[in-house]
Amino acid sequence: MSRLSFRPRPLDIHKKLPIVKSVKEFEDDETPTSTRNSQIMRLAAEADTEVQQVPTKKVASEIPTPEFVVVDTYERDYSRTFSQPTSYLRARGARAELGEFVEYDVDNEDEDWIQEFNEEKVLLTPEIFETALFKLEILDHKARERAGIITPTLGSPVPVLLQFDAAAEALLPLSIEYGISQCIYDYWKEKRERWQKPILRRLQPPPPSNDTNPYNVFRPREKAHRLHTRRMQRRENNVQSFEKLRQVRRNLDQAKTLLEALIKREEKKREVTESEVSLQRIQMKYKHETELLEDSLALSGFPSFPGKFGSSEEEFVDSDDVAYSRQNARQNTPFSDTKLVMVSPGSIKREFRRRNAPNGWLQKLDPLEPVLLFTKPLVPEKLAAVGIVPPSSSPMTNIASVRSQSFHGRIGRGGRIVFDRWNPLLHTPIDCGDTFYIPPKPRPSMHN
Amino acid sequence: MGSIDTPSTENGSTATLGGAGDGHLLPASDSAGYAPENDVGRKRKASVLPLEVGTRVMCRWRDGKFHPVKVIERRKMHGTGPNEYEYYVHYTEFNRRLDEWVKLEQLDLDSVETVVDEKVEDKATSLKMTRHQKRKIDETHVEGHEELDAASLREHEEFTKVKNIATIELGRYEIETWYFSPFPPEYNDCLKLYFCEFCLTFMKRKEQLQRHMRKCDLKHPPGDEIYRSGTLSMFEIDGKKNKVYGQNLCYLAKLFLDHKTLYYDVDLFLFYVLCECDDRGCHMVGYFSKIQEQKAKVEKEKHSEESYNLACILTLPPYQRKGYGKFLIAFSYELSKKESKVGTPERPLSDLGLVSYRGYWTRVLLDILKKHKGNISIKELSDMTAIKAEDILTTLQGLELIQYRKGQHVICADPKVLDRHLKAAGRGGLEVDVSKLIWTPYKEQS
Repeated sequence: MSRLSFRPRPLDIHKKLPIVKSVKEFEDDETPTSTRNSQIMRLAAEADTEVQQVPTKKVASEIPTPEFVVVDTYERDYSRTFSQPTSYLRARGARAELGEFVEYDVDNEDEDWIQEFNEEKVLLTPEIFETALFKLEILDHKARERAGIITPTLGSPVPVLLQFDAAAEALLPLSIEYGISQCIYDYWKEKRERWQKPILRRLQPPPPSNDTNPYNVFRPREKAHRLHTRRMQRRENNVQSFEKLRQVRRNLDQAKTLLEALIKREEKKREVTESEVSLQRIQMKYKHETELLEDSLALSGFPSFPGKFGSSEEEFVDSDDVAYSRQNARQNTPFSDTKLVMVSPGSIKREFRRRNAPNGWLQKLDPLEPVLLFTKPLVPEKLAAVGIVPPSSSPMTNIASVRSQSFHGRIGRGGRIVFDRWNPLLHTPIDCGDTFYIPPKPRPSMHN
Repeated sequence: MGSIDTPSTENGSTATLGGAGDGHLLPASDSAGYAPENDVGRKRKASVLPLEVGTRVMCRWRDGKFHPVKVIERRKMHGTGPNEYEYYVHYTEFNRRLDEWVKLEQLDLDSVETVVDEKVEDKATSLKMTRHQKRKIDETHVEGHEELDAASLREHEEFTKVKNIATIELGRYEIETWYFSPFPPEYNDCLKLYFCEFCLTFMKRKEQLQRHMRKCDLKHPPGDEIYRSGTLSMFEIDGKKNKVYGQNLCYLAKLFLDHKTLYYDVDLFLFYVLCECDDRGCHMVGYFSKIQEQKAKVEKEKHSEESYNLACILTLPPYQRKGYGKFLIAFSYELSKKESKVGTPERPLSDLGLVSYRGYWTRVLLDILKKHKGNISIKELSDMTAIKAEDILTTLQGLELIQYRKGQHVICADPKVLDRHLKAAGRGGLEVDVSKLIWTPYKEQS
């Protein structure tokens, strides 16, 4: 409009501008250019200014808008029950947080269904129905939350998880008949599956941020900004990483449950094994004691094979367990208490080792006896190497001719290895009178 | 608007939008069967039926006069003849908010043929206009669309071309809607919605609303009251805390705002709802929304550094032209002053929004200029009013109050000129009594 003959300097918003109070000041100026003159004149002239302003004003007063009318039922529908407190009103918690308000309002199809349902007599009021559906929606949402399948955005249909049993229980306080609850549940489930999303709008997931359908609304905001460094990007604090972490957590939780179950299974397995072992021990002890009574000549023996007393700690532990369990058995405790063994295994074991370690003389006496779990088959070569000889008709001559030692090993008739100790004077076996007699030097013979 | 030319043939037998796939005319015999009048003219008119989308025709408006319209959409009417249609028309003289469904009898079928002549006339006048005049007209035409490019504007108009909800009931008023609003798909089948006046829940049937009113425990918006003067109260609602309310408000507001987007969720916004209170409760008059600066910075919302102090503003139609709009604008600047910031509304502004803002800016600035002694910079004006410097410049330059003489800019503040501008700017609107505003900016809240 006001076209100057030269380009004015751009206006500096920080510069103080003089305020000219009267148009006359412009006129008094000796203005060289006609452009400026006419411009000022026009500004002063009312008619011109009117031309400038009228369009805006006209628009202001003449923009037509659609109409409105007063609703005649208003005064009836809205009660006069509000009184303003003297202080400013403060927000209460949102309805969702308070949880008392029935957020669901019946819609057209609900109304029609209720009407049909109540065909003969009033079985169900819309208010009860609203409460019921509201509860079902909330419960279903909670069920999905528990199952960890709450999606942050609406990608695929949202499944129904709430089962009727849980639903019926929740509807109990509404004191509606079981049959009616069933009907409501069926109706809700059908509707819910048809919608493929929660019916309560608050629970519906928003569309994903990359969705471009203009009919979908209220997307979560995507990040418009990238973080500066890669490191910061990796640990971005956003919905995606939150979801990822939740996934990790779920996986770890599942792994934990699995491992706990595994531990339980292994513990049971061990109990079974230990029960078997103590059972065998009891049987064995029983047999031995009778045998000892019968065969008082037999000395408390050596382990059934050389490796038994090897230096391996495991084997010591095994034999300790054996000893300990037998000890228990002796004390009329029929089965070993595994827990106790586990609580303080070290000290107990050592103690028993000192006292009872060499008592691994358990052997298979009877072909019907169950196989001992901790024995290994006899190797004749090894036995021969340490001077243990198979049973012979005259052990006496063997001893006399082969060895001058006061004791030596032989394999007994039952397959046991027997170390006889003889009294050279009496030519009788030495009976120490103690079944737990420890032979003085068992080891050297083992390590040959 | 209405910038798409409609190629029409001279004889008026066809009037189709070029390239419109669905635009095929029914044979004349069919139409004759439906309109069996003897009158030759009638027959001829009947032969143009049903009207094609894109047809330009004269239509009788609510003022009883005929206005030019363009057919945007048509639909079959229930329980009538096979060719009886209703037409959704756009009055080319007015904003899209007045688009409506009309019956055939409102249309002057004789005018279907004359449309070409009118267009020629249009062109003739347009040629006669000076470039300046033309620009002036263009400006008024595209007001509110400045920031949208042609493609996105077309897309916007395509998916919002027909209002989905025709009327709403909100408290005391039944209001005709202005624009399309993307309600959830479950509401596709209804023309009228019933809003709870307080929690803004919307329902399809009156009985549902009445049932809702019996249980609804709200009598005012679910936020903090931050201003009360007489019967006027202002409530601040955090979109994050009251998500459902915020969404309901957006659905409602979209019915009256063309270029409002509901694309993103409401949790970054604060809603300031203005109410008139009586013994029935606090009745919403209008509202404005504002992006939460602190949150926006955290979330790196784009433009957060552009100091917007208002995102959307709406005065509900029954309360329009009573000064509430300017009250809301003034209120938004009062909040900015409390934050010690300058602010500006998000663009685009609607035609009505622009009028209100121009009026407000003019009034505020000219009142200062009238009283001020000595020199003043734009920055000082901005600091005093919380109006962004650019908006001050545009306003003063638009009023031609900034002159350039003797190598420097001066502000012309002749009382006579100022008074004339003030008068043109309209009434000042309701005053905001700052002493009654009890509010701390978000960042200072815990």
